[in-house]
Formats: sequence, structure tokens, C-alpha cells
Amino acid sequence: MNRLSLTDRRLFLVVLIVLLGVVMSFLSPYFLRAENLLSMTQYGAVLGLLALGQAFVILGGGGGIDLSIGSTMSLSTVAFGLTAVNLGLDPWLAAVVAIAAGAVLGAANAFLINVLRLPPLIATLGTLYLYSSLALVLSGGVDINGFDRSGFAYLGQSKVAGIPFQVLFVLVPVFILAALYMVRTRQGRQIYEVGNGSITAALAGVHVRRVRTSLYVYSGMLAGLAAVVNASWLLNAKPTAGAGMELQAITIAVLGGVVITGGVGTVLGTFLGLTVVIVLNSGLQLAGVGNTWQIGLLGAVLVGSVVLNNIVGRRRTR
Amino acid sequence: MPESALSRARLFLLPALLIAEIIVFASLSPRFLTADNFANIVINASDLALIAAGLTLVIILGGIDVSTGYAVGVVAWIAAKLMSAGQPAIVVVLVSLVAGALLGSINGLLTTVAKVPPIIATLGMAAVFQTVLFGLWNSNDLFATPVAPLLSGQRFLGVPMVLAIVIVVYALLWWLSRKRRFGRNVYAIGSNPEAASLSGIRSRLVVFACYAILGLLVGLAATIYIGRVGVVQASTGNELTLLAIAAVVVGGTSILGGEGSVLRTLGGLAFIVVLQNGIVLAGVPPLWNGLIIGLTILLAVSVDVLAKRGDSRKLFRRLA
Repeated sequence: MNRLSLTDRRLFLVVLIVLLGVVMSFLSPYFLRAENLLSMTQYGAVLGLLALGQAFVILGGGGGIDLSIGSTMSLSTVAFGLTAVNLGLDPWLAAVVAIAAGAVLGAANAFLINVLRLPPLIATLGTLYLYSSLALVLSGGVDINGFDRSGFAYLGQSKVAGIPFQVLFVLVPVFILAALYMVRTRQGRQIYEVGNGSITAALAGVHVRRVRTSLYVYSGMLAGLAAVVNASWLLNAKPTAGAGMELQAITIAVLGGVVITGGVGTVLGTFLGLTVVIVLNSGLQLAGVGNTWQIGLLGAVLVGSVVLNNIVGRRRTR
Repeated sequence: MPESALSRARLFLLPALLIAEIIVFASLSPRFLTADNFANIVINASDLALIAAGLTLVIILGGIDVSTGYAVGVVAWIAAKLMSAGQPAIVVVLVSLVAGALLGSINGLLTTVAKVPPIIATLGMAAVFQTVLFGLWNSNDLFATPVAPLLSGQRFLGVPMVLAIVIVVYALLWWLSRKRRFGRNVYAIGSNPEAASLSGIRSRLVVFACYAILGLLVGLAATIYIGRVGVVQASTGNELTLLAIAAVVVGGTSILGGEGSVLRTLGGLAFIVVLQNGIVLAGVPPLWNGLIIGLTILLAVSVDVLAKRGDSRKLFRRLA
């Protein structure tokens, strides 16, 4: 039953992607060219990592949401820039520091939510302010650059067989690992159990708080990884790198079939949701539609996809 | 539920913090403790106060709205446009109220009829409102003057007249939520939506009404906003969204619903706006602003949650 509805969701997204592709190729003759299709994914790598983190946190239930994910990315970006430039360490070492910083920030969210028991919405709203402001304070509000050493630009600016390096060797492997983790490991399955009902899961011997804590740490680490990929792509560590990204990350996760109350959703769905958003954004870009219009359309898609979910869900229960 | 010492202390925490805050800032800056500065604080906080009041109702019933800032932006643009077309103040205010109520009604319809979780519905609509404002603005900044003396920082015996509007709105909402059946229904839905429906409360209507009331106040806030800020741009109002939520939860209204009051929001609001004003006067660089606000939210809500530890049932309730 549950299985069937998930399949439907993914099928729906595939159909949507094909339809959008057709519409976009009419809007712009350049859309279907290979170089455009591939450069589209460059922008998607950063967004995809954030969306995956968001999907994890929402799946864990209990009102789980990470509004601070964009700010976590910003602060990790600054951690990267300070380590690579001000401390003068190797940029690859700085990348490890950035991911570790993300993990710590995620753990701080987890502490507020799982130990102090703050509602996730409020805890991460507070850290949204806190992390983004800290990123500005630590960097003095200015961009950090000058870390193009040890071939660091290779990560974000090169292509292998025409495919951007960060998509082939970061985004895709991370999604495959995440999918295997969710389906094949006991911890992965426990996420669904916790998301579907924390009391039932606790009675069945699952350590609910530990599972949820790990999800916020994953989310933070993915935001740290996104910060590294973004810094390498733009060769610039901006203290506002992740500002506003939380909306897009939530949109992708929900569009991909992650139910906001937790327990339902897949990694593949999130990947398809990401594809929809990238096709939409780059198609509109080519058609000359500005950035802000895309934000509005994304908002409409977000609300529309939940309304659609509800209609489909209601029909099935009848 | 027997009240613990901590939860009784909770009631006095905010006033105590507010007094401590005032003492600290008064010692840091000679300009802080002046009638002129307090009038300034009132003027700068008045639009935020109206939004936070409406938002309190929505949060008490277990909802949330993260679209209020850009909704203010859209209505502010409409109001400024009408002003520049030479429309009388009464027309500007009425149209703004209607426009605000319409925007709020969209959120209300999405959460009640289409059953979209409020965080998703309002997050999506925030993006839509942002784009609508961007489209209306179309790279032309609109300049505006105060709509009416009552909606401006103009003072009567040294007191900003706009304070009267804030007092009337808070008094009305307090009366509505504490003395009328509508208010009891709001609390009932917030503490247990199923039980509320089973006991015959027309939940959808009440929820819709709360979002519409919030929209109405957003419209009114926009008419004050344009007079205060003087210009409408692409990002107008954006900063109000999170501040309004912060004022409500710092005031002690539970984000889980069912508990809280507009008067508490007034306390939370006072704490935040005095903090913002004080740190500027004390010479703290503006980059630190978010840091201090973020810490304040976390601290205030932590104390609140720790005080209610005993009541663990609610912690299992899903929020969104």
C-alpha cells in the first residue's frame, strides 16, 4: 500500500520532468543541447546536498525541520575560508574542517532539539539567526578568497566526460550512499520507524533521540560539504553563501515526496525533486525569466505538490 | 497540573529580564533612558507589534505564518501607489486592510480547505509574495509619506499617536481571545484539534478566521510601515517575518499551540525591540544583531520548555 503510493510519486515526477523538458525545449532552442543540460547540474550539486540533509531531518518526524541549513552552509563556508586563507592551511584540509564545522553546528541543533527538547522549528529558527550572524561577525562581512591552491578548483570547475566533477564524484555518490543507508542498514530503517511514530519505535527498542540526533548531524555535514563544493565552484567564500537556500531545500524534499510530518519519503524521490527544480530553473533562465520569478514559481510548486499529494492520498484511502 | 516553582518563575522572568536589560543599556548609553528614545522605540516597533498580535492567535491554534513580511511588502506597495495617486487616507487604509485580509485568506484557505501543513503553505506563499512584490516594484522604488497622523510617528503630548492603534488592537484581541467563545475555540483547537472538532467546534472556520485576522493586521501594519520607512523596494517587509515569530515565542506563547496570550506577546516584543535599540545605542556593530536575537530566542524558549518538562505528552505531538 505504502509502497505503491511511493512508486506513484516517483513515476509522477519522471513524467513531470519529461513534460517540463519538452516545454523548455520549445521555450529555448538551446535547452536540449548537451552542454546546457550538463552545466545545469553544476548549480544543482550544492542544492542537492542541502535538500538531502533536509529530507533526512524531516523523515525523522517529531516536527523535524532544519531552517538553519542555509546558515549552517554560510558559517561552514566562513570556517573553510578562514582555515584556508587566514590560517594558510591546505584547502583540502580546510574542506575537512568545513565539514566538521557543519557536523558541530548540526550537533548543536540536535542538542537544542533532543536534549533541551525545543521544538525543531523554533530551535533552528534561532540558529538560523545565530549561524548567519556568526558567519558575518567572523568574516567581518567580507568575502574570503585566494584559496585556489593544491588543485582545489578541480572539485568545482572541471568536467569528466562532460559531466561536472562535483556531480559525478560528490552528488551522485552521496545520494547512492544515502539510498543504500536508508534501505539496507538497520539505522536507515530505524529512521522510518522513528518518523512513523516515535512512541511505537521507542517501545520497539529504537533509541529515538539517538536516531534524530544523528539526522541533524548528517544535515549539518551535508551543509558543510555543500559549502566546500560551492566555494570551489565560485572560488569565493561568501559569508552569505547559503542565505535563502533553506526554502529551496525544503521545497525539493517535499516535492520529492517527503511528507512534512515524517516517516514517508525516499532518497530517489528527493533526487527527482531536485531534477524538477533544476530543469525548471535553468529552462526559465534560458527563456530570460529572472531569478526572483523562479523563487515565486518554486513556492507555487511547493504548495501545489502538497495539495496534489493530499488529493491523491485522499482518493486512495477511499 | 500542579505548577512547579520554575513555571511560576517563568511568569516573572520576562519582566525581570526587561528591567535588567533597561538597567544595562541605561548605564551603557546616556541617550537610552530618555523619553525621546522610548518614543522612537514605540514608533519603530508599532508595525511589528500589530503583526505579532495577529500571529499570536495563529500560533495559539497550532499554526504558523512565515509569509507575513513579504505580505507587508505587497500591501505597502499598493498603499504607496494609492498615496502617490492622491487617494485620501481613508481609501488607502481600507484598500490596504482588504488587500491584507485577502493575502491572509489565501493562507487560511490553503491550510483549511487544501489541508496543506501551515509551515509549507506559508513558506510557499512567502516565496510567491516575494515574487509578486518584485513584479509590482519592477525596479522603481516608491516613495511614501505617512498615510495619516494617527498612523505616523507624530506626537501628542510627547507620545507617538500610533501607540493608540497598537493599544486598541491588543485590547481588542485580548477581549476576543479571553472573553468570547471564538477565543476559547482558538485555544481548544490549539490544545487538541480532534477533541475540538468532536465537541462541535467548526475548526476550519475558526482557523480561517485567524489567518484572515492576521492578514487584516498585516494590511494595517503596512500602512504604518510606509510612513515609518518612507520607501517601498523589492525586499520591503522581509525583516519582519522572523522578528514577529520571535516576539511571540519569546513572550511565552507555546509554538505547540493551545497556550499563550497576546499580552505575553507584548512583553516579548518589548524585550526584543528594547534589545535592538539598546545594542545600537551601546555601539555594538550591527553584524552582531542576529547573534543576539538568535541567542535570545533560544534562551527564552529553553527556559519555557524546561519549565514545562513535566507535561511530556505535548512533546510527542507533531508540530507541522
